[in-house]
Formats: sequence, structure tokens, C-alpha cells
Amino acid sequence: MEHIIENLRQFWQFTGFANFEIGYLIMIIIGCLFIFLAIKFEWEPMLLVPIGFGILIGNIPLFAGLNVGVYEEGSVLNILYQGVQRGFYPPLIFLGIGAMTDFSALIANPKLLLIGAAAQFGIFGAYAISLALGFDAAQAGAIGIIGGADGPTAIFLSSRLAPTLMGAIAVSAYSYMALVPVIQPPIMRLLTTKKERLIHMKPPRPVSPTEKKLFPIIGFLLTAFIVPSGIPLLGMLFFGNLLKESGVTKRLANTASGPLVDIVTILIGVTVGASTQASQFLRWESVKIFIIGACSFVIATFAGVLFVKFFNLFLKEGNKINPLIGNSGVSAVPDAARVSNNVGLEYDPKNYLLMHAMGPNVAGVIGSAVAAGMLLGFLG
Amino acid sequence: MKHLKLFLAVVGLTLCFTAGAQSQDAMRLNEYLVINTDDFQDDFGQQNAWIELFNSSYGTVDIAGCFLSDDPDNLKKYAIPGGDVLTKIKPRQHVIFWADNQPYRGTFHVSFDLAGAKEIIFTKGDGKTIIDRIPVKHDLGENVSFGRAEDGIGSVDGSGEGWNVQPRTSPSTNNALIDKAAKPDRMKAIDPYGWILALTAMSVVFLALILLYFIFKAIGNANIKAGKKRSAAAAGTDVKASAYGETPGEVYAAIAMAMHLYQQDDEGHDEESFVVTLHHTDRTYSPWSSKIYTLRQTPSLNKRR
Repeated sequence: MEHIIENLRQFWQFTGFANFEIGYLIMIIIGCLFIFLAIKFEWEPMLLVPIGFGILIGNIPLFAGLNVGVYEEGSVLNILYQGVQRGFYPPLIFLGIGAMTDFSALIANPKLLLIGAAAQFGIFGAYAISLALGFDAAQAGAIGIIGGADGPTAIFLSSRLAPTLMGAIAVSAYSYMALVPVIQPPIMRLLTTKKERLIHMKPPRPVSPTEKKLFPIIGFLLTAFIVPSGIPLLGMLFFGNLLKESGVTKRLANTASGPLVDIVTILIGVTVGASTQASQFLRWESVKIFIIGACSFVIATFAGVLFVKFFNLFLKEGNKINPLIGNSGVSAVPDAARVSNNVGLEYDPKNYLLMHAMGPNVAGVIGSAVAAGMLLGFLG
Repeated sequence: MKHLKLFLAVVGLTLCFTAGAQSQDAMRLNEYLVINTDDFQDDFGQQNAWIELFNSSYGTVDIAGCFLSDDPDNLKKYAIPGGDVLTKIKPRQHVIFWADNQPYRGTFHVSFDLAGAKEIIFTKGDGKTIIDRIPVKHDLGENVSFGRAEDGIGSVDGSGEGWNVQPRTSPSTNNALIDKAAKPDRMKAIDPYGWILALTAMSVVFLALILLYFIFKAIGNANIKAGKKRSAAAAGTDVKASAYGETPGEVYAAIAMAMHLYQQDDEGHDEESFVVTLHHTDRTYSPWSSKIYTLRQTPSLNKRR
């Protein structure tokens, strides 16, 4: 009998109830909130559902030494987490993004590239704020990349510069990407006049298949020569796009943009979520990261919209750009472009901006990858 | 045949670039000791003169096939043998060669000594290109070495610039202690508010995208011109009169009508109850996707209006 009681006592020690702390409960509530937002409002469900459930997985109170936790070397979760830690999931996701992105809008109107560059001010604004709040330069660089509004880039860079902050940075980046429809419209309305919002842009010209094939090759060579540290992201992005546009690798493009990106999205989402263990995540630093993340999105939106207004000063009547597409320079594809379109339709139901906004939106992906390469070069 | 030539040209170019990628040019003579009585010992427990080489690059360099010599008229005096993994020198690492004139003792024992040597010469695998050379000083005294003040930095032409008498010997390690703060700390010290990095990085981001802009502007213009020519040739009309590059208004009218209909509640059939919408599903067969093995369908979200 004593033996059975002793075993039961040991069993109790292994349970989550015996190891419970209030921090775990808070994180479980956050995880459930993510799942709720994804299902109820369809806010980035492909990301928030895996991350939300990952948070639940990572916050079951564990008896140390069971070798099941994400931070316990050799555990299954730890092995899956290597893709995040060593940074090989993000380039695979970029491969998929490249294979599913149509750069036609950008090729047809290449000046939209510059909007994608301007919106990267969000990254460096957040970097400056992070330094002011006491983070060291490497941590500040990793936090700053939240302003690029690009989850894989944020994970890639933070795994290199500040692995201990990666959970908070990734969750912050994905959360604000989901909140793009909430954060951006008030800023867009604030910075534009009614006349500007009604600007109708010229329809883009048709883009030839040759141009589409050349874009990934030239785009990669140019950006990689300038910022070689961005090669993992840029290389896979443009390679994926070449698979799509070459016309002779349909099966590979389908795999990259379908099953492969889905598998990696599941793995990255769950493991990033699981890495937010209460002991690692519930810190004052995480709160600061969330505040800086919000600022970075605001700065990026400000910079994008104001840049278009500035750019319009040099453009002839009839060639002007609707500043409502300035917000889409952040690379939350395609949500930011959708926001441009929806706000534009509020003021003129016939003014469809989606196609124009996709230009700066995909330019933002390139711009944030280049910016990440710069940060890695300076701080890595 | 044409394709084969093209293929060979591409392969040739690729090989040229990869051959240069891990360059032996990055190797440097870094330090040497002529009279060794109480200094570093070799694997045989003997104290002999030694020569230190340093890989100044950030990639691994294989020095197999390179030559060490003390004679400008015979650059191939000692060929560093291949087939030894130890000849692959890791980034920013050192390697010691014993100048004991006993090459049968292993890869790192050369076939000359420094007692009568005038200079030490390190030559590339072609046996002609001198990568680095340094005159040998014989007035150094016992256990006093001569080396670069900072590893890998200084002359490679034998002038001795950047070399000095070392305060202590440092075989297989850095000549000068590296006492530098980590990169991010240095960055924060130089740029405490982040403005320098912000301006620099934003300039690079803009530069990259501006270059892309110019390139694709040029390609686009060339494409439009070519298209105009083609369409004019096909229609037999004047180039300037054709309107290539402008989508016909009917296309926009059709797209606008489709979007308008889609936005109307009564026209959006896709999520309406009791309306069957047939979608073509293209599924490659695999045991994993077979209906036989599917217990139930994946639930989908149905919105009710």
C-alpha cells in the first residue's frame, strides 16, 4: 500500500497541477485569446492558430527533466525548434512566398519600389527606441525588425542577434501583422486629404513573361551583391519566384507554394508559440518589446504614407500615386495592400487600389530582407 | 553543340569563381623564431626554428600544394603535401611549420632550416606566384621571435612593414591580444541613439531598390518599344499610332462588373446556403490522400448571413 501511495505521490509531482504557477495561466489565456481571434475574426488564422496552440503546448507546467519541453535538449519539441533557433525555417517560408508572389504590379510600375524602401523607417525607428529603452545594440536590431512586418525575417534575425528575445519578438511581429487592419487606417486617414484619397491611379501596363523571368534573377543578383548577409532570405525569395515564373518548374513551384510552405508554417508557428514559456516570456522586456513593436508599425505607416505625399510633389498630374497605398510598404503581404484597398473604397467605391498596393507590398518584403541583412552585417 | 558550348562556358566560369572563393592568397607568414632553445617543442620533443602561417580570411583555406622556401631561386623547396586534413586552415587560425630540415617527420616539418636562410617565401600552388615573403633576421637572440604587430596585417613584399620583434613568442596563437569589445557594443558606443545605423542602412535599402527601379524601368521601356514594333508590324500601321501597353477599356469594364457583382450581397453565391457551387478539384492520387483512408471530411467554416 505504501508503495502505491509513494508512486501516486511521485505521479502527482509530475503533473501540471503540482508544478502550476500563475505565469503559466496567463500564457494559457494569451494562447486561447490568439486562437479565439483567429477563429472568430479570421485575423491571420494560419499563424495565430498554430502560435496560439503552441503557447498552450509550451505552457503546460512541467517537472524539469522529463525531456519534453522545448528548451530541453534532445526533446522532440527541441528538435523541431532547431529550425527556428538555427534559422532554417524562415528561408523556406520565403521560398514559398516567392513562389506565390506575383511581382507584376511592381515590374509594371517600378517606382512603387521606393515606397517599400521608405516604410523600412519603421525598423530603424524601433531600433532607436529600443536603444533609448536600454536594450543593447544587437537586441535593439532584433526588436527593430518587427517594424518590417515580416514574421520569418523577424524570426531569422532575432535567432541570430538576440535568441533569448525571439519568442517575444516573433509573437509581437505576428500579432501586429494581424492587427494591421486596426493600426493603419487611422494613420492613413490622419495623414491624407480627401482629395488625395480620391486619386485614381493609371492601370498598370501588361508585363511580359520575359520581364517576369528576369525580375528574380536581376533582383537577387543586385540585392545579394549589395547585402550578402541577406542571401538566405533574398536567395530563397527570388528563387521561389523564378520557379513560379520560369514556366518549366510548375511542380516545384506548386510544392514550394503549397505543401512545403504549409508544413514549415505549421512547424514555425507551433514551435515559436511553444518557446513562449512563462518563465521566458513574462518579463518586463517582453512588455517593452510589445510597446516598441506597436511604435514600429506606426512609424512604418507614417513613413510610407508621407513618402508617397513627398513623391507626388515631383510627379505630373495624372501620374500621381494615391497616398493610401503608402501603408502597404510594410511587408505584411497581402493584408497591408488589402487595407489600402478597403480604405480607398470607403471614399470612392470605384477606386480599387489593391493591384497598385501590391507593388509596394512586395517591395516591402525585399526591403525588409535587405534591412535585415544590413542589421546582421552591422550587429551580427 | 551550341548548347553544349554554352553549358561548358557556364561550368568553366563557375569553376573559375569557386576556385577563387577559398583563396590561398589570404594566407600570411605571421611570425618566425630562428633560435629555439627554450621555446615551443614539436611532437618529437625537440626545439627547432618554426614559421607560423595565419589565415587572414573568414573562410577555410586549404594550403595543400602550396610551397615554403628559403631560396628565391627555388620557390618549390618544400611542397606542402595533400591528403592531410590538417592543411585546411580554419578562418583566422594559425599553423606552425618546423624549420628543422626533417620533412620525413610529417606534413609540418619543412625541408630547410632557418640557420642560414635569407628569407622565408610562401608560394601559391602554381609554384610561381609568391603570396608572402619576409627576410630572416639573425640578430634576434635566443627564443626571440619576429612577427606581425597585428595578425595578418602588414607587408607581403618582404619590406617588413608591420613586422617587429615580438615581446614574447606566440606560436599558434595571436601575436597581439585581441581586446576589442563585441561588435554590437562597439556599435552602441559609436552610435548611442541609432541614427548613424538608421541613415546608413536606409541609404543601402534605398540604393538597392533605386537600382532595381532603374533596371526595370529600362527593361520595361525596351519591352514596350519592342511590343509597339511587333504590334505595328502585325497590323501594318505606324508605330506611334499603336496603343501597345494600354489594356482595352472592355477588360476593365468586365473586371469592374465582376467585382461589383461579387460585392453585391444577392450576387455573391459562394457562401450562400442552398446554392450548389461546383469547384473543380485537382488531386493527385496518393494513399495519403485517398478517400478510402479518410475517416471524415475536414470541417470548413460556414458563415451564415
